[in-house]
Amino acid sequence: MATRRRVVGAMLASAVVAPTIGLRGLETAAAQDAAGPVLRFGVNAADLATLDPHYASGTQDRTVVDMVFNGLVRYQPGDSSVIEPDIATEIPEPELVDGKQVWTFTLRDDVMFQAGPDTEAYLLTADDVVYSLQKSADPDRSAYAGDYKGMTVAKVDDQTVTITLDIPVSPTLFLPKVANYAGGFIVSSKAVEAMGDDVIKTHPVGTGPFMFESYTPQNSVVLTANPDYFRGAPKLGGVEVRYMPDASSRELGLQSGDLDAAAGVTEAQWVDRINSEGNLTADVFGVGEVAFFNYNVNVPPFDNPLVREALNYAISRDEHLALYGEPVAENVFSVVPEAFMPGGLTREEAEAEGVAYDYDPEKAAALLEEAGVSDLTIDLITSEMPAYRSNYEVLQAELADVGITVNLNVVDHATMHEQIRQDVNPIVLYVAFRPNADVYLTNFFFSESAVVDGASPITNFSHYGAIDDLILQARSETDAEKQDELWKQANIQVLKDAVTMPLHYQNQVYARRPQVDYGHELVSSLALYPQITELTTITE
Amino acid sequence: MVRHIARRLLLAIPTLLAVFTIIFIIVRIAPGDPAVAALGDYASADAVAALREKMGLNVPLWQQYFNFLGDLLRGNLGNSMISQKPVIEQIAFVLPYTLELTFAAIVFGLVVGIPIGVITAVKRNSPVDYIGRVVSLLGLSFPAFYLAIILMFFFAVRLGWFPAVGSAPFSEPGRNLRYLVLPAITLGLIETAYIARMTRSVMISILSDDYVRTARAKGLQERIVLIGHALRAALIPIVSLVGIFAISLIGSSVLVEEVFARPGLGKLMVGATKQKDYTTLQSIMVVYALIIVLINLVTDIVYTFVDPRVRYE
Repeated sequence: MATRRRVVGAMLASAVVAPTIGLRGLETAAAQDAAGPVLRFGVNAADLATLDPHYASGTQDRTVVDMVFNGLVRYQPGDSSVIEPDIATEIPEPELVDGKQVWTFTLRDDVMFQAGPDTEAYLLTADDVVYSLQKSADPDRSAYAGDYKGMTVAKVDDQTVTITLDIPVSPTLFLPKVANYAGGFIVSSKAVEAMGDDVIKTHPVGTGPFMFESYTPQNSVVLTANPDYFRGAPKLGGVEVRYMPDASSRELGLQSGDLDAAAGVTEAQWVDRINSEGNLTADVFGVGEVAFFNYNVNVPPFDNPLVREALNYAISRDEHLALYGEPVAENVFSVVPEAFMPGGLTREEAEAEGVAYDYDPEKAAALLEEAGVSDLTIDLITSEMPAYRSNYEVLQAELADVGITVNLNVVDHATMHEQIRQDVNPIVLYVAFRPNADVYLTNFFFSESAVVDGASPITNFSHYGAIDDLILQARSETDAEKQDELWKQANIQVLKDAVTMPLHYQNQVYARRPQVDYGHELVSSLALYPQITELTTITE
Repeated sequence: MVRHIARRLLLAIPTLLAVFTIIFIIVRIAPGDPAVAALGDYASADAVAALREKMGLNVPLWQQYFNFLGDLLRGNLGNSMISQKPVIEQIAFVLPYTLELTFAAIVFGLVVGIPIGVITAVKRNSPVDYIGRVVSLLGLSFPAFYLAIILMFFFAVRLGWFPAVGSAPFSEPGRNLRYLVLPAITLGLIETAYIARMTRSVMISILSDDYVRTARAKGLQERIVLIGHALRAALIPIVSLVGIFAISLIGSSVLVEEVFARPGLGKLMVGATKQKDYTTLQSIMVVYALIIVLINLVTDIVYTFVDPRVRYE
C-alpha cells in the first residue's frame, strides 16, 4: 500500500515538476520557423468574426486580411495619408468619356495568388480584379456594396481593367474604393468559386505577404510567409494572431515573452508605464476613431435647437479627453477629424464660425431655461465597452450639473449597436473611423442614411438632412481644394444646427517587445493595427 | 445498479427538454442582432437584411425551435452563424481543454485540500489549525481573476517556469502540461479551500465517534485510525462536494480560460455571446446541461464505492 502511494506520489510530482525543468525557451523555439521567426500577435478580441475581406470590419479581422490581401492601390504601411500603387503598376489619371469618369489600371504581371484549399497558386489577371470588385458591389456578398454603386468594372486584357463611374469624383473619394481596405481588397476568383463564400470566412486566399495556414476557434489564426509575394518573401516565417480579449493577459504575455506584440490599453497612463518599465515599447498612432454625440432632432425636446445647443455647452471636451489623456486621445472640433483627412475643422476654424462649443454650464442652463426645459430625465443605453460607457458616465455627470437626469442602462456592445439603430437613444454616442469626409458626412448626416426611416439607413442617428446638397456637391467636385471647402461648410452647418457634439479622436495603442521592428514608421494605419509586412523583423 | 442508471437517464429526458426550451428562449430573448454583430457598425441596412436572411433569422420562431430540437435528436448541433463551421467540431475541439482543466483542478484540490483538512482537524485549535483555516479563508475569498494574474506574474514573468498565456495541443503532452499548470492551480486553489474546510469539519465530527475511539482503544496506529477509519468515512460528503464543485468549476473555468487565453467551452461561450451566435451559444449550453446531468450520475455511482451501505435498487 505504502509503496503504491509512493509510486503515485512520485508520478504526480514528476508530472508537475519534470516539464518545468530545462524547458524555458521551448515556446520561443516553437515560435521559430526555418524561414524565420513567427511573430506572435495578441489582438483584443475573443475570436474572429469573418476573414472575408468584403465583410471584415472588426480590428481583429482587418488585421488578418491586411496581411493576406492587396488592393489595386494601397495606403503606405504605417502612413495612411499616402496612397501608392499595389497590384496596379501606377495610379492612373482619370479620363472623362461621355460624361462618365474612366480609370484605367494596368496590373503587375508578377502577382501570384496563394494556393487555396481546392486551388493551386496562379498568376492574378484582370478577371480576378473584375470578379472581386463585382463581389464588393453585391449586397448579398459584401457589407460595403453601397460604396460601389454607379461603378462598372471591365476587363480590357489580362493586365488591364477599366473602372467607369457614372458620376465623376475626386481621387480623394475614388482611390479608397480600390485600395487595400474593405471592398477594395482583391480576392481570388478561382479560390472563392471553388470553396464558396462561406469558406472564405475562415480560409482567406489572397496575394499578400502572408498566407492562411490554420484557424483554431477562439484561439488563433496562423499565417505563414508567402515566398512568392511580389514585393519579395517576408523576413518573418509567419504570424500567429492570438485572440486575447483580456488586457492584463496580453500585457503579461508580452512580459513573459509568450507574445511579441499586442493590442494595448487606450490610456496615456498605461502607455507611460509600459515605456518607463524598459522591457517593452508602447506605440501610439493614428488613425484615430472619433467619439461624438448625436441628438435625435425628431424627439422632443431635442427638436428644439436651443436644447441641443445647451447640451453642447454643458459638455466639457476636456473632461471626456481626460478619460484617455494625450497623446492617446486629442480633441476634435468637427466629426470629420482634421488631423487625418481633408474637410475637418481646426479649433481656430470652429472658433471663427462660433461653433467650438467650449464648456459653459451657465450658458447651457440659460439656454435650457429659454427653451422652457426643466426636470428633464433621459433614458440611455450604453455598450459595456469602456470607450462608450465611460463617455456616457461623464455625460451623465455633466448633464446632472444643468439639471438633466440621465439613466444609463448597460448592455453588450452588439446589442447597443442593434438598439441605437432602432432609435432607442435620443442621444447617441458613436466612436468611429471612416476613410474620408464624404463617408463620415453621408453615414451620419445624410437624410437617406437616417436609421429606421431613411431610404438607405446607415448611421444617421440624428435624422438630420440639412446638408444633403453640400454632401452631393462635394462628392462630385473633382477639384480637391473646392471639395475640402465644401466639406468644411457642411461640418460648420451641422455644428450650427447643433445636431452633434464632436469630442475627441482615440488613437491606436499597441505594445511590442523591442526586438520587433515593423519595418516602417508608425504614423497612421487604416487597418487599425501596426501593420505587419514583408519587411517586419524580430531580432533575437 | 444498471436499472438505477437507466432510470436516472430516463428521468433526465424531461429535465433536459425543459432546459433546452429555456435555453432556446433565453438566447433569443436577449436583445441584439447576430447580423449586426457579424457585419460591424459600417454595414448598411441592406447588407444586414441580406445576412439576416442568409442566417435563417427570418424563419418563424416556432419553426426555428422545432428545427433546433429535431437537429438535437439527430445529434446535429448546426453550423455557427458567424463562421458557418459545424458547431460540433468547435465544441469537440475545445471540450477536452475544459475537461482537462477541470480534472486537473479537482485533482489539485483533493491532493492539497484533504491533507490540509485532516491536519487542521487533528491539530485542532493549534497554530497549524489557525494558519490552515486562515489560508482556506483566503482561498475562498480570493477572486480567480486576481489569483491568475498573481500566478502569471510570479511563475511566468518573474521566474519563467511556465508560459503565461496560451495552450499547446494534446499531441505535445509535455508542452500541454506546462500550459495547464498555472490555470489548474488557479482553479484548484479555490477548490482546495472548500475541500480543506469541509474535510476539517467532517473529520472533527468523526474523530469523536465511538468507532474511532474503539479503534484507538484496540491499539491501532494513529495513522491507520485517521486514514483507514476516519478519513474513509469522511470521503462520502467530500465526494458529493467534489461533484458539486466539478459543476461550479466548469462554470468558473470561463474566467480562467479567458485570462489565460486557453481554448475552452467557457471561452467559446463568451465569444458566441458577444457575437450573438445563437446556434453556437445554445449548443454550448446543451453540452453544459449534458455534462451536469452526467456529473450528477457519476457522483451517485461513486457513492456506492466509497460507502458500501449505499445501494441503488
